[in-house]
Amino acid sequence: MWGDGMRKVRLRHTGRFIQTFIYLGKLFRMFLFQNDWKVLPMSAVIAGLVSFAVGKNIFVTMEGTLMGTFALACICVWNGFFNSIQMICRERAIVKREHRSGMHISSYVAAHMIYQALLCLAQVVITINVCIFMKVKMPSESLFTAWPLVDIGITLFLITYAADMLALLISSFARTTTTAMTIMPFMLIVQLLFSGSFFNLPEQAMPFTNITVTKWGLTALCAQGNYNSLPMVSVWNNALKMKDYEVEGEKPLLEAFKMIEENDQRDAILKESGSLNQNPDFNFDRGVVVKCWIWMIIWTIIYAALAVIILEFIDMDKR
Amino acid sequence: MNINIDTMNTVLNCVRDGVSFILVSIGYMKIFEKCGVQKRWAFIPVLREYHLSLCADKEKEGRTYTILSCLIYVIGIAIALLNGHDMLLALLAIPFVGIVVAQVIFEIKIYLGLIDVFGRRKRWIWLFIFLEWFTVLYWGFSKKLVPTRKVQDLKDIEGAKEFGEDITVADEGLTVNIRNRSVIDFFKRKVLLKDIHMTIPKGHMVLLLGGSGAGKTTYLNAVTGYEQADAEIKLDSEDVYKDYTSMKYDIGFVPQQDLMRGNDTVLMTLSDAATLRLPSNISFQDRMKRVEEVLEQFGLASVKNNLVEKLSGGQRKRLSIAMEFISDPTLFILDEPDSGLDGVVARNLFEKLRQIADEGKIVVVITHTPDRVIDLFDDVIVLAKDQTRTGRLAWYGPVNEAYEFFGKDSMEDILLTINQKDEGGEGKADEFVEKYADRVKENVG
Repeated sequence: MWGDGMRKVRLRHTGRFIQTFIYLGKLFRMFLFQNDWKVLPMSAVIAGLVSFAVGKNIFVTMEGTLMGTFALACICVWNGFFNSIQMICRERAIVKREHRSGMHISSYVAAHMIYQALLCLAQVVITINVCIFMKVKMPSESLFTAWPLVDIGITLFLITYAADMLALLISSFARTTTTAMTIMPFMLIVQLLFSGSFFNLPEQAMPFTNITVTKWGLTALCAQGNYNSLPMVSVWNNALKMKDYEVEGEKPLLEAFKMIEENDQRDAILKESGSLNQNPDFNFDRGVVVKCWIWMIIWTIIYAALAVIILEFIDMDKR
Repeated sequence: MNINIDTMNTVLNCVRDGVSFILVSIGYMKIFEKCGVQKRWAFIPVLREYHLSLCADKEKEGRTYTILSCLIYVIGIAIALLNGHDMLLALLAIPFVGIVVAQVIFEIKIYLGLIDVFGRRKRWIWLFIFLEWFTVLYWGFSKKLVPTRKVQDLKDIEGAKEFGEDITVADEGLTVNIRNRSVIDFFKRKVLLKDIHMTIPKGHMVLLLGGSGAGKTTYLNAVTGYEQADAEIKLDSEDVYKDYTSMKYDIGFVPQQDLMRGNDTVLMTLSDAATLRLPSNISFQDRMKRVEEVLEQFGLASVKNNLVEKLSGGQRKRLSIAMEFISDPTLFILDEPDSGLDGVVARNLFEKLRQIADEGKIVVVITHTPDRVIDLFDDVIVLAKDQTRTGRLAWYGPVNEAYEFFGKDSMEDILLTINQKDEGGEGKADEFVEKYADRVKENVG
């Protein structure tokens, strides 16, 4: 009936655009039926834990901001990785069958990209709301929109989405879920270790930091949190620990602290300490943030393109 | 003075390594001789490792072992050349350590295989690891140590004679002229299928029979155009290879496993399959009508809103078939559709396939339990591995004539006749391949 007609008239079949929507539909059904929705409450729990652990000083002091933005970037990377690390490899044989029947790999990956974008967006909204609920101080100034939370949200989204696409890439070349889950921790460690600012890396290792989403995410978050305007407390805290140090029977540090407190100069000193330790990479500047966003978008595109290229060879999978 | 001592140490190390290499090579040369592998490979690094794995009957592991050995040589040379570049050396050292560890593991696997082939105790492994040159020399020269099986060199063996001619393309039906299907497998050319010619008329249900490795799946992939061979495949008068993009929708291939998403509903699975496989100018109403028709035809209407994972084995198999049948293909191919199904359910399924063939389709089926449903088939294709391990056509024709041709009264007995002796068969593949070629020549005139 259809077959003969199809050959004689050379009828067109479903193109990439419609196929994208077919697979998008499948993904949303799986979101409901295959418990993929569980990543949403999981992101709330992780955000809650991080807010509890490091939320007190984020966007308050330089040290707290560095640690807190690193933790926020880690949440995003973790969420992104878990969203899609098993998405393709768990149905690899099905993808191979469907590719044989006329499915376009680009449509399949595009459907994943749209679906994951919505998932990442939902996770970012949840994360920000949890942070607010946990009384984490958020930046009060914005660089792009009228709402600082939206600016921060865009950065968090880009981190999550880039990590998500990296996991999708891993999932597209891993033959089994076990392989994908074995590679994931390794990639996670690379992301954390080479974030650039949080750990002191040797000079030769610095170029490698450009390949990590955490570096660009952390930099953008620090810039948006106006890191360079914040006080630095570590010098003060360390000196305070030595307040009882005696020199010829006297305690000069304790005396100095008393004098500073009496003159209400503590905050000024902390600010001064901060201004002496500013990092130009974290300037409250549109250019800095845009550069970070562009890097994250570039990596996202590269990861997705590589996933398409790799999956085009799925027919070579052995039985 | 210090320089002289360093130079002397280097020279001594080189001499030691050289002597060790020569001793080990001589030992392997003798082992290779015993195993039926050419002796010269014992002296060529990397190739030696691969041929050792052949002796050990561990070719699959041997490939990885060979690649690892090759990488070790390459990185070793790079490290020697990069003396002084600390950063680069550190970067190379990380993978080098990992590769060396992996190579040792694979070396142990190969040695254990060798010990098994020689029928010795596993404790020999310690000597192979810690005293390689001595052990290899002893194994090479000892007359008591002989392998239980030898490496078969297929290059010296001639396969069964060929029919060697393409048959005329039929106006209707499937015409298959596979001259050769080969692949490059680990730098070696391997012929998977050769000299297969036939015409299958429309309305026929054909059984594809063959032992393990006879090339059944390769044949199906070549016929469907999924993996193209040196061949001409015509469905009616259309060339499958030249028009693959449009022809693939007229060929349904149902894989052995039920490859469907378990967490989707039956209706949506079939509806999505229809959207993918049917022409895009068909209206939504017509598409859904076709989906409903196929659901009815395959007895899935009552479970259309169920999740696929909740279906029984038989229902799932029918859905998998329905996904391909939705586009009403002229050629319908099924790889073991009855695997995992009990006799009654399998019989019902094959009756359904018979109905599809009766609608004027060509249905080709692989099954490992053919005798319980053989009455439903018109023809049988028998593929057999000849002595060169190439898939050859031993029979294509009506089922009853096949019994007569092979002198057997069941398909399983036919399979036993053509299977190689090392697979528990009678090893008569070449005999029947030649007999069939002669018969076809006679018929063609």
